[in-house]
Amino acid sequence: MTGIAFALLLTAALTGYMMNRRAALALRDGGQRLHSVGMFHGLYAVLAVVVPSVVVILLWLMLQAPVINAMVMSGLPAGTLDGLDSGARQLAQAEIQSIAGGRIFGSPESWKLDAAERLNSLRGLSGWLMVAVVALVVAAGLWLTRRSVAPQFRARQAVERIVLGLMIFCSVIAVFVTVGIVLSLVFESIRFFQMVPITEFLFGTRWEPQIPIRADQIAADGAFGWLPVLLGTLVITFVAIVISVPVGLMSAIYLNEFASPRFRAVAKPMLEILAGIPTVVYGFFAILTVAPAIRAWGAALGIPVAPNTALAAGGVMAIMLIPFISSFADDALSAVPRSLRDGSMALGATRSETMLKVLFPAAVPGIVGGVLLAISRAIGETMIVVMAAGLIAKMTINPLDSVTTVTVQIVTLLIGDTEFDSPKTLAAFALGLMLFILTLLINIVALRVVRKYRELYD
Amino acid sequence: MSDQSADIAQRHDWGSARFQSNLARRRRNEKILAAFGLGAIAMAFLVLAILLWTLISGGAQAFRQTHVAIEVPVSAEWVDPADPAKGNYRNVIRDAMQTTFPDADPSELRALSGILSNAAQFVVRDKVVADPSLIGQTVSIDVPTSDPYDQLNKGNVDTQSAENTRRLSDADIAAFQQLKDQDRISLPINWALFTNADSRFPELAGLKGAIVGSAYALLICFLISFPLGIGAAIYLEEFAPKNKLSDIIEVNINNLAAVPSVVFGLLALAVFLGWFGMPRSAPLVGGLTLGIMTLPTIIIATRAALKAVPPSIREAALGVGASKQQVVFGHVLPLAMPGILTGTIIGLAQALGETAPLLLIGMNAFVTAAPATPFDASTALPTQIFIWADSPERGFVSRTSAAILVLLGFLVVMNAVAIWLRNRFERRW
Amino acid sequence: MYDTTRREGAVTQDDIKIQARKVQVFYGDKQALKDVDVDILDKTVTAFIGPSGCGKSTFLRCINRMNDTIPIARVEGEILLDNENVYDRRVDPVQLRAKVGMVFQKPNPFPKSIYDNVAYGPRIHGLARNRAELDGIVEGALRGAALWNEVKDRLTEPGTGLSGGQQQRLCIARAVATSPEVLLMDEPCSALDPIATAQVEDLIEELRTQFSVVIVTHSMQQAARVSQKTAFFHLGNLVEYGDTDDIFTKPKDSRTEAYISGRIG
Repeated sequence: MTGIAFALLLTAALTGYMMNRRAALALRDGGQRLHSVGMFHGLYAVLAVVVPSVVVILLWLMLQAPVINAMVMSGLPAGTLDGLDSGARQLAQAEIQSIAGGRIFGSPESWKLDAAERLNSLRGLSGWLMVAVVALVVAAGLWLTRRSVAPQFRARQAVERIVLGLMIFCSVIAVFVTVGIVLSLVFESIRFFQMVPITEFLFGTRWEPQIPIRADQIAADGAFGWLPVLLGTLVITFVAIVISVPVGLMSAIYLNEFASPRFRAVAKPMLEILAGIPTVVYGFFAILTVAPAIRAWGAALGIPVAPNTALAAGGVMAIMLIPFISSFADDALSAVPRSLRDGSMALGATRSETMLKVLFPAAVPGIVGGVLLAISRAIGETMIVVMAAGLIAKMTINPLDSVTTVTVQIVTLLIGDTEFDSPKTLAAFALGLMLFILTLLINIVALRVVRKYRELYD
Repeated sequence: MSDQSADIAQRHDWGSARFQSNLARRRRNEKILAAFGLGAIAMAFLVLAILLWTLISGGAQAFRQTHVAIEVPVSAEWVDPADPAKGNYRNVIRDAMQTTFPDADPSELRALSGILSNAAQFVVRDKVVADPSLIGQTVSIDVPTSDPYDQLNKGNVDTQSAENTRRLSDADIAAFQQLKDQDRISLPINWALFTNADSRFPELAGLKGAIVGSAYALLICFLISFPLGIGAAIYLEEFAPKNKLSDIIEVNINNLAAVPSVVFGLLALAVFLGWFGMPRSAPLVGGLTLGIMTLPTIIIATRAALKAVPPSIREAALGVGASKQQVVFGHVLPLAMPGILTGTIIGLAQALGETAPLLLIGMNAFVTAAPATPFDASTALPTQIFIWADSPERGFVSRTSAAILVLLGFLVVMNAVAIWLRNRFERRW
Repeated sequence: MYDTTRREGAVTQDDIKIQARKVQVFYGDKQALKDVDVDILDKTVTAFIGPSGCGKSTFLRCINRMNDTIPIARVEGEILLDNENVYDRRVDPVQLRAKVGMVFQKPNPFPKSIYDNVAYGPRIHGLARNRAELDGIVEGALRGAALWNEVKDRLTEPGTGLSGGQQQRLCIARAVATSPEVLLMDEPCSALDPIATAQVEDLIEELRTQFSVVIVTHSMQQAARVSQKTAFFHLGNLVEYGDTDDIFTKPKDSRTEAYISGRIG
């Protein structure tokens, strides 16, 4: 149905273009002076057809599933859903949907079969209805724009106004995304804080979310204090930063001051490769190579090392961050005016003195911005820790121990089937909100520092 | 102006021991710094080399698969000619093993059947269904061996170790050796890795589902982020008045580019799945999520490309009476296109490797068929890697590496195209 | 304003500070300087003039081996400073540059305090044994650059906060703090206003009593005002070298004549 709707729309747009353009050209050939060239009369028809009908189609597709579901559920025989909690209702709804999709398991009750049938017929109806509405919109657009073709009609201005509107819409989408993130996180978090007091979440030192699964289990057994999770995140971030910052800075210093142009031309893209490797690959590398190596070293030295040691996750994360920090520092060093470097060299400073006493101090603000962005990345990094860090939250700062992170908890809480009303699921959103706020604060500071720095030497 | 002190007129004896040793120390410090820098780069390269070596040495094996060729007598006892699809092909395979190993007693046959992949019975079934006249005859098949024997054939099993520490007994190994001596074992290229979808059995598991899923998701990601990104970038760069609102949009986009990817997964879970009721595990939702993630990248790249077009072009076009939009769409945008495409491809390459948001919307489902449409449940390449990395079978370890090599191959191609575009069309103004 | 008391023909070997012999400079494949031979005198201001791209700055940067910092640059020939070839393998450019100070076109104070700017050279070269000695050197250099009275109460403030003319004098102070024997100035006044330019020109006149000063300038008036010797460069060649008076009043080469009368440049 969607395909038919789009086909309809494209044909109409094409027809409208040809029709209006020809009409405009006919006017011109009839000796009248057109304000706008024929092409714009055609484009005006295209936009008048495409924009409203695409909006209709997208809205329809977005809204049809919830509306149809609501209709099916409310159309059930009276009393069927009485006494069912929301979880059971969702289950029934899911079953009706899978029956409607032709996946029938066992022998469901007859009301479910009826509902599934109703669902399918509603879906079919909705599809036809959509095509009909689109056809109507398209026809109206064609009729209106055909009437508008006239010598004095400012088709170009009209087209440009619509295009400008579309572009403004595109820019606002980015804002919508942010608003969407904030709203969805806040909305679900509020529901979570209705079940778990916000103070317990913020200041609790126990994180044991796996407990409440069945109703008769005591939900109070689950503990939702995020401090150990935050601490674990910080431990791994610390390990990653402590390793990656010196290595990244040193490589940047070498590339910027000591390397021959040829070496630089080879080494920079090679470092970029490290940045381009997907994090899931790093995660695999951590469990396959790094963690066993660290365990072997620990065993050789007689130090107890946890299987999911923070050192492995942090160390591998550091590899990912090295090119990030290095290229940021390299840019910051390159942004220092050449005249400062010349001034230092002309005074008889060696290259290392020039670097350490003039260039590096001058580039520090830019480098700090880069390191902050790297910290924010490390905090938000997910796959490496999901694969290589632990699941159990512990109040420890020992990097050889196994710790968990905010992102690990989000993923483990939400992996598999999720219901939107258990504290376990909602806790993930609360953690997500905290993660968002934390990284946002760091990013804002970092981006401001970097911006100030760029202005300094522009 | 006569306030000189004697200090600056004094000549230093640069050849003196004090200055010479000072100079030597400074030169030494310079060398130390350079050595540290070189060491840091060498360390990064070493890690890269180890990483690639691990993947290639581990993954190379998965591009070949041990096959065994045997003759299968299809007895009418097990397969009813009226309904060949419903036959007991497990017993057919057992017969085949009996023919191949005439000395084996029934209790051993069960173990011997385990040499063949679970797929063997379905291969025979498909042949018989396609041609029922085969019933009562002997069919030759060439099928994958099961994972433990594949590992044995690839030399990953230490036959000298204690018998109870490995999955294959000495008898199993002897039986396999017998097949080998009969020249039935081969090690062809593992096309199944690309033509099969996921499976519980490593020897049958392939990436088709993941590749198709990723392709759908990437297509939708492109359809979302490319037009929206270019539209937003053109507006912000060329048309937006410099006011508070465009400042907010600007800051917002920069921050959005640095939001952790897992947060986009939460957004998708709450909005697309929770509020709009879109299907779980569908490449459609994955593509939408990746699309809004890639949007800021494309906006930033497009703005940079537009900025790089010199104002003289705009002025020249405006000067001949073109409207602002005609200038932008007719002259500036075409000139900026190579830069925009380069940025877009790099953004898409990032999206292709993105895993965390796809996990949250369920694209780590176990799906044994490639999705026919973007609405069907599917995995994507990175999530398939994640699933396989979690699987305990030995065969999945090398398959994970192989899947990573495939993913990296796609990324290399995309980045190569981006670099080619940049070098081919980049203009210096 | 320039010194007319120095008599022609009285140059002895002792007065020669720098001798350039067949100096050629290449940037990659491009030759920027061809066979330059010149003798630069001690305690004299020598001006290099010529149109842009003529090689005058390139030659200036050969004297303290600043061209070494450009990877594609290659220098041939020899430049003798006190009869020692600065391109000799035993000469460390780091120490050479302490002996041959340089001031640039645009004032380039480091983003450090005024004191640290001036103390930078003495510190890295280890000229002072203690803080008091360093204080003395800084004060001497600032006095030498005629800046002491303006900044003595705010030595800890950043050097970048000074006015353009003050910044350039700070850079001169920074250069003289290592007690160089030669001071190279690469269009030191081109970024300054007329008042600051006059101050710096006065300063150059002062500095001549202690150093050999080589100044590259775009302005022929400035060359005439501050220098005793002038070298005219054109297209990588040293066309003419002689007393400033002679160059400007009776040039021997037609190209020099064309340049100073404004027909090429």
